[in-house]
Amino acid sequence: MAASETAVLSTAPGIPAQGRLASVRRRLGWIGMVCAGIVAVVVLAAMVGQFFVPYDPTVGSVTQRHLGSSAEHFLGTDQAGRDIFSRLIAGARTSLVGPLIVVVATAVAGSMLAFTAVWFGGKTDAFLGRVLDVLFAFPSLLLAILGVAIFGPGLVTASIALAVAYIPYSARVIRSVALRERNLPYVKAAELQGINGFTITLRHILPNVWTQILTGSTINFGYAIVDLAALSFLGLGIQPPAADWGLMISNGQESLQQGFPGQSLYAGLCVVATVAAMAYIGERLGGRAAAGRSKQ
Amino acid sequence: MIDISNLELGIIDPDSGANKPVLKGISLSIKRGEAIGLVGESGSGKSMTLRCILGIEPRNSVVTGDIVLDGENLRTLPGERMRGLRASKIALISQNPHAALNPVLPIETYLLEGMADAHGRNAKAARTRAGEMLEQVGIRSVDRVLKAFPHQLSGGMLQRVVIAGAISGRPGLLLADEPTTALDVTTQAEVAAILDEKRRDLGMSMIFVTHDLDLAAAVTDRLAVMRYGEIVEIGTPEQIRDNPRHAYTQMLMSIRPTLNGATPQAHDDGDSTGVGHSAAGLPAETEIGSTL
Amino acid sequence: MRFLVHRLLALGGVLIASSMIVFGGLYLAPGSPEQFLVQGRTVSPEVLAAIRSQYSLDDPLPVRYWNWLSGLFTGDMGRSLLTQQDVGTLIASRIPTTLSLAAVAAVLIIVAGIGLGILAGTRGGVAARIVIFASNLGIAVPTFFAALVLMSVFSMGLGWFPVFGAGDGVVDRVWHLTLPALALSLPSIAVVARITRTAIVEESESEHVLIAVARGLPKRIVLWRHTVRNSLLPVTTAVGMQIAGLIAGAFVVEYAFTLDGIGALLVNSVQRKDFAVVQAVALIMVVAFGVVNLAVDLLYAVIDPRVRLKKGQ
Repeated sequence: MAASETAVLSTAPGIPAQGRLASVRRRLGWIGMVCAGIVAVVVLAAMVGQFFVPYDPTVGSVTQRHLGSSAEHFLGTDQAGRDIFSRLIAGARTSLVGPLIVVVATAVAGSMLAFTAVWFGGKTDAFLGRVLDVLFAFPSLLLAILGVAIFGPGLVTASIALAVAYIPYSARVIRSVALRERNLPYVKAAELQGINGFTITLRHILPNVWTQILTGSTINFGYAIVDLAALSFLGLGIQPPAADWGLMISNGQESLQQGFPGQSLYAGLCVVATVAAMAYIGERLGGRAAAGRSKQ
Repeated sequence: MIDISNLELGIIDPDSGANKPVLKGISLSIKRGEAIGLVGESGSGKSMTLRCILGIEPRNSVVTGDIVLDGENLRTLPGERMRGLRASKIALISQNPHAALNPVLPIETYLLEGMADAHGRNAKAARTRAGEMLEQVGIRSVDRVLKAFPHQLSGGMLQRVVIAGAISGRPGLLLADEPTTALDVTTQAEVAAILDEKRRDLGMSMIFVTHDLDLAAAVTDRLAVMRYGEIVEIGTPEQIRDNPRHAYTQMLMSIRPTLNGATPQAHDDGDSTGVGHSAAGLPAETEIGSTL
Repeated sequence: MRFLVHRLLALGGVLIASSMIVFGGLYLAPGSPEQFLVQGRTVSPEVLAAIRSQYSLDDPLPVRYWNWLSGLFTGDMGRSLLTQQDVGTLIASRIPTTLSLAAVAAVLIIVAGIGLGILAGTRGGVAARIVIFASNLGIAVPTFFAALVLMSVFSMGLGWFPVFGAGDGVVDRVWHLTLPALALSLPSIAVVARITRTAIVEESESEHVLIAVARGLPKRIVLWRHTVRNSLLPVTTAVGMQIAGLIAGAFVVEYAFTLDGIGALLVNSVQRKDFAVVQAVALIMVVAFGVVNLAVDLLYAVIDPRVRLKKGQ
């Protein structure tokens, strides 16, 4: 992993948009660049990793169980004799696809709710507010578990259930930003000219709350990785024998008690590294960390 | 009483490390019992001068020069001695009393900690004294005010409390930083009058920072006109008014409202010690000051 | 008072609506309600009849809801679809574990979270850097992973703590629950420490603190009475939200440490498709979540005079 990171770093200056890249680099700092490297490696693994894994991630052999790390098996094998390294690489995909579904669904549904509430205001706004209040009454993981209980476990159901749990939070944030735009004179003017609400929202309000939606989605992505991994860990997310970090942590629990902590620890580290790296980058690019720092 | 010589202050920009000069060699001498007005526009360095005297300038600033109070150089005093001087010899009245008082502590605590904790008076004596001080600044429902929280009092009422606290320790030097600017127009004159009266009674020196030339002329013996971190002219109010020598002072005099009863425009003074104006968001109807 | 009544009514309304969601979930599921409840298990006609009557499937929908809800109020939560055990009894036997787990975790959040935040906020320097770094890490570490790491280090590796079970008696129970509670509270400790530190740093730059320094108040009073005390007001809300959030985190930790709390009960019931138990546990959690959140709001109103005196009029 370390080797690929430096590769990413050293190729960076060759990219044409050098000025912009340099400014991003300055804002990230060296820790941020390491984080960006980690995220890049994970995304790369998710996209093409499965073509390069040394072993089939879902097939093992009982004679090869719980092997330590060796030249053949870089990180050893799990309780079913599967190559842990291959499973980690292949697991990047499900571990990112789930959160991607969550984030996109949350952003789309959240914005639509928020825009509807803001545009029509009054009773519609109040009614949607009440609906969100009810969703807020559920801790998000509980809502997701209920969804799985009703629609059955699996990556897609778990992701959609989690998205439903996230929607009230994102809808509330987007609504407050969109409301500010809604009340600006030029939006009012457009309304008086008879331009319909849908067009105004699309043309004037959406572009102005876009950054907010994007920032929120970045933050949600980190939460979604953790929450989906937790659902997998509970056996309610993606089902075996698929390779998934949360599932690997869960599978490794038994091995851990038998004295083979490798699988759980490596998978856990992948989750922590990815989430921490994304959170750090999000915070630096969001500028909040920088503002907080200069105050000291 | 106090001698400020060649005071310079620069703010270091945390990103570039550049030093932005705010005060460029201020020199000022104030005699015992004398009141001097510092007048000038926002950002001219009036309030920053006061902060330097108290040693509470912003953290990212560099200060040079001397401020000598009764023979001691305030800029070189050890921390604990400086704290003692703040408690006993110098008192500050800032622009916005709602921001200056801890919002979650009652008035009584504010007055008592000034007298007992900072000044070493015993608590019981301090309590009696707090009541007396409030009466002295024209507050009648002393008990109710003592028990009230800052947000329950009007700005004028609260500024009287601040004045009471400031003069309770009989400091030699009073620093007033736009003490009436944030108040209702109707109470501005009252508060200024109380401040002026108490200062004269107790024989205190005062530095009165304001952008209001007429007010400064009314309550001070001398005026110092500041611009861009420098004092451009010092003189008695009469000299400044009738015979301004510096071009900037002449300009200031010419733009004064001339009609009788005209009030100065609302002035957002960004260079005061004020960080936030928390009082702005508080509802006015909760004040009990008007019933006192 | 009006504030309190208003909030109670709002909570009541939200809880009724939530109960409809929990109840209605059954009808959102693909297939008929019976099919969903039985889930392909082979059941005797008597059991099927019992299930039909438990959910009063022969009555119209509003009546079914009413029967279910009034049953809950009288303590009749129906029977497990799997074991035919009384759901109320089942849950009652599991609640003490969850409550003690949450209690130990809450204490950890308050003591460690606020303590570390104050340390980082008032000392600055190396202490602040360590706390900031640790809290960034703590937020990124998922509860279940923290559970496994703690288990492998302290139970398997060092043998200081038991691996399983909730223990008997107070001391034994706290000993058994220390690691689970630590795993459960770790992310919250990180969040609270960070919020506390930020609040203290911001408060120390507020004008009234600057004025307190200018008045010559002793350092200790400026720090504790004016800076720390004031900054803890917003922190109270954050702590309360984190404690309410423990309800959601408890599933994972109970499951990881095989504790017999209601969180693990919920997860096991979902895995075994025992929807009667799922409904009852979910509703209890929603009620607990709502009540804790309300309590936090009320607490805030009591400790902040600006809110207290406004609401009192």
